Amino acid sequence: MAKTIMIVDDSATLRQVVSIALKGAGYDVLEASDGKDALARLTGQKVHLVISDVNMPNMDGLTFVTEMKKLPAYKFTPVIMLTTEAGADKKAQGQAAGAKAWVVKPFQPAQMLAAVSKLVLP
Amino acid sequence: MNLDDALKTFINESRELLEQMEEALLGIEQQPDDAELINGIFRAAHTIKGSAGLFGLEQIVAFTHVAESVLDRVRDSLLVIDAELVAILLASRDHIGSLIDHLAQGETPDAATHRQGSELTERLHRYLNQTPAAARAAMPVEHAQIPERETGRVADTDNWHISLRFGREVLRNGMDPLAFLRYLGTLGRIVRIVTLTDDIPALSELDAEGCWLGFEIVFSSEADKATIESAFDFVREDSHIRILPPRSRIAEYLRLIDALPNEDMRLGEILVRCGTLTPAELDSMLEMQRQGDATEHAPIGEVLVEQKVVQEPVVEAALVRQKQIKENRNAQNASIRVDSARLDQLINLVGELIIVGSSANLIARQIAHPALLEVTYNMTRMVEEVRDSAMSLRMVQIGATFSRFQRVVHDVAQELGKDIRLEISGGETELDKTVVEKITDPLTHLVRNAMDHGIESRAQRAANGKPEQGVLRLNAWHESGSIVIEVADDGGGLNTEKIRAKAIERGLIAADAGLSEHDIHQLIFAAGFSTADAVSNLSGRGVGMDVVRSNIESLRGSVELLSQAGAGTAVRIHLPLTLAIIDGFLVGVGRERYVIPLETVEECIQFSVTELNLASGEAGYMDLRGEVLPCVRLRDVFDVRHSSATRESIVVVRHGARRVGLVVNALYGELQAVIKPLGRLFEAAQGVGGFTILGDGEVTPVIDVARLIELSAGPLHSRAGGLPAAA
Repeated sequence: MAKTIMIVDDSATLRQVVSIALKGAGYDVLEASDGKDALARLTGQKVHLVISDVNMPNMDGLTFVTEMKKLPAYKFTPVIMLTTEAGADKKAQGQAAGAKAWVVKPFQPAQMLAAVSKLVLP
Repeated sequence: MNLDDALKTFINESRELLEQMEEALLGIEQQPDDAELINGIFRAAHTIKGSAGLFGLEQIVAFTHVAESVLDRVRDSLLVIDAELVAILLASRDHIGSLIDHLAQGETPDAATHRQGSELTERLHRYLNQTPAAARAAMPVEHAQIPERETGRVADTDNWHISLRFGREVLRNGMDPLAFLRYLGTLGRIVRIVTLTDDIPALSELDAEGCWLGFEIVFSSEADKATIESAFDFVREDSHIRILPPRSRIAEYLRLIDALPNEDMRLGEILVRCGTLTPAELDSMLEMQRQGDATEHAPIGEVLVEQKVVQEPVVEAALVRQKQIKENRNAQNASIRVDSARLDQLINLVGELIIVGSSANLIARQIAHPALLEVTYNMTRMVEEVRDSAMSLRMVQIGATFSRFQRVVHDVAQELGKDIRLEISGGETELDKTVVEKITDPLTHLVRNAMDHGIESRAQRAANGKPEQGVLRLNAWHESGSIVIEVADDGGGLNTEKIRAKAIERGLIAADAGLSEHDIHQLIFAAGFSTADAVSNLSGRGVGMDVVRSNIESLRGSVELLSQAGAGTAVRIHLPLTLAIIDGFLVGVGRERYVIPLETVEECIQFSVTELNLASGEAGYMDLRGEVLPCVRLRDVFDVRHSSATRESIVVVRHGARRVGLVVNALYGELQAVIKPLGRLFEAAQGVGGFTILGDGEVTPVIDVARLIELSAGPLHSRAGGLPAAA
């Protein structure tokens, strides 16, 4: 059974590129455009990994991860935060919220795949 | 490491022995009774067997043992050596050789070699009255052991060793230890993995969500350490991870360490640069070092070895390299003491070189051969460089000389009962060693004078609203090709009126002479100005000042005094950079030629005679872009006759703050001038600092610009008319 990964980012392009790469590697992919959208889509789903941007409208990534970790089904779900080199403090905040993995933007699809495969295999 | 070296020695030694064995075996057919030859063959086999035993090379030991036994029987005359036996022994020799070759290449002997070994063993056993079956019985043990041993060796040397102790929180953080291991599998091959469960507590105490597992992994991979480490990026901070490179990598690291550039690096940097240590490891190790006993940090090298992050040989090599780099560095900064006489000789030779070079230059210009001109042009440039570097050898910083005055100031201040502080600046200014030596006396004079007569007593300073502590400043700097040394005090300054009165009294100036304050101040350097009975504040200020002046002039320098009533006095000594060789500017006056030190030349202006009408022997003035420029005819100064040129040029020269235009007839351009001092006979010749020899052999005066400016524009101008003609 293929593992499901949710990608949360306000950029449709980024979601699409990551989605193609992940699907190519054998994962199932769900997309959400911001934190609020993501929380709504998580219910009733089994998601094995969440990839989330930090800066998003409606609900930012940090709040989203904090909220997600409150859901019993997603308490232990790994999260990859998308950070920028400049946002070192964001990375620390993300880790505190429970997102222990990160990928620095901008990234190549292969880098994202490597990070994902360190956490869940398809 | 040592074992590997020993193994190499063994391999080389064995190959030598095998060669000897072959030679002896080939010779034995001709001389079957030569005991020495047989002994030699036996010894070779025996030595190889013994050494192979040291390394646990069972296969070689077992095979050689059989061959040795046969040879032993031959030695004891129990066996007669014949062509067949020689053939078998030669084949055995070859077999040992191939076993050694496999060892040298780090391979396990292949099946064909094994088969060959068994065959030969069987044939050798026939000579030992032993049943081949017995021999065969021993074989499986031999074969079973060796491959395992070999792989054991391979595992230890050519694989990475990774120790993983996952953090307790890993699972709760959503990480799957298995995912990391699987990802590791994409970077290479996990040869062996041992799961450590020692940390798991009793079931009643077990936190089921915690991760209690550890792994020891033997990992075979071509990837570098940073890549392997990156597999654990997301758990690194919470987990305990140690990655030890394969032993075969050590040589690579050692090579990289050796190839590092000669830069000052810390041990950690060296290890990171060669790739044996990753930046993340270094950070965590440094953190660990900091957390240790605050009073005595273990050296980082020890921490790294102790924590099994880097192998000891690599750390050692890095330390050696670090020391090497430091030593290289020190060697680069090292200096050589050279007898100054040798330097003087070098300077003299360079001087001669310049003269010869300018002859060559002149001839080249006369011949006007393009190639020759180019060569001489290049040579001139090189000679200039040689000159400059030879000169720089003699340069020393004035700082050391300045520092000596600390003591002088301290002692004199105590003697005088004054509180005086010495401030030194510009100590790094370099000047010729001879100049430094000769400047010490005049400087001491000036310093003492400034303390004695320049800086007022405490009471007087207090009354004048100055701080009680007086300040004496020694400063040095470069200024347009010369060096300026300044001795300044913050005392009362000179009393202009008293000096004027004194000068009139001494007959140095006319009673109605219209002199500027600055000009009056310079009078204290005049010979005959100083007297023991001079008055009050001024008293003694003149003592020895004329001596100071002549000392400095003997160094082709000049001295200038700046004083402001109530604020202090500064004496500035201008000195040429070097004494021996200068860049000069050759000018012509009538048939005579003169060299002007290039560093004093500001510009040259062409104009016709009519524009400037200078009365003979008197200073004229011209308007130089809105500024008044005093001008003087060199023709008049040096009393040159036959000057009927219709065209004249002005060479604007500067000394200190003063500029003068020297009127000449011709400009010949730059040259290098080796200054020869004036003989005693010419000491009276004022305005001439020395002589130089031109390329065509002509002796030409070098103009002492400072003196000339003084002569032409100063208060003593009236004397200028009486200068002797040069040359």
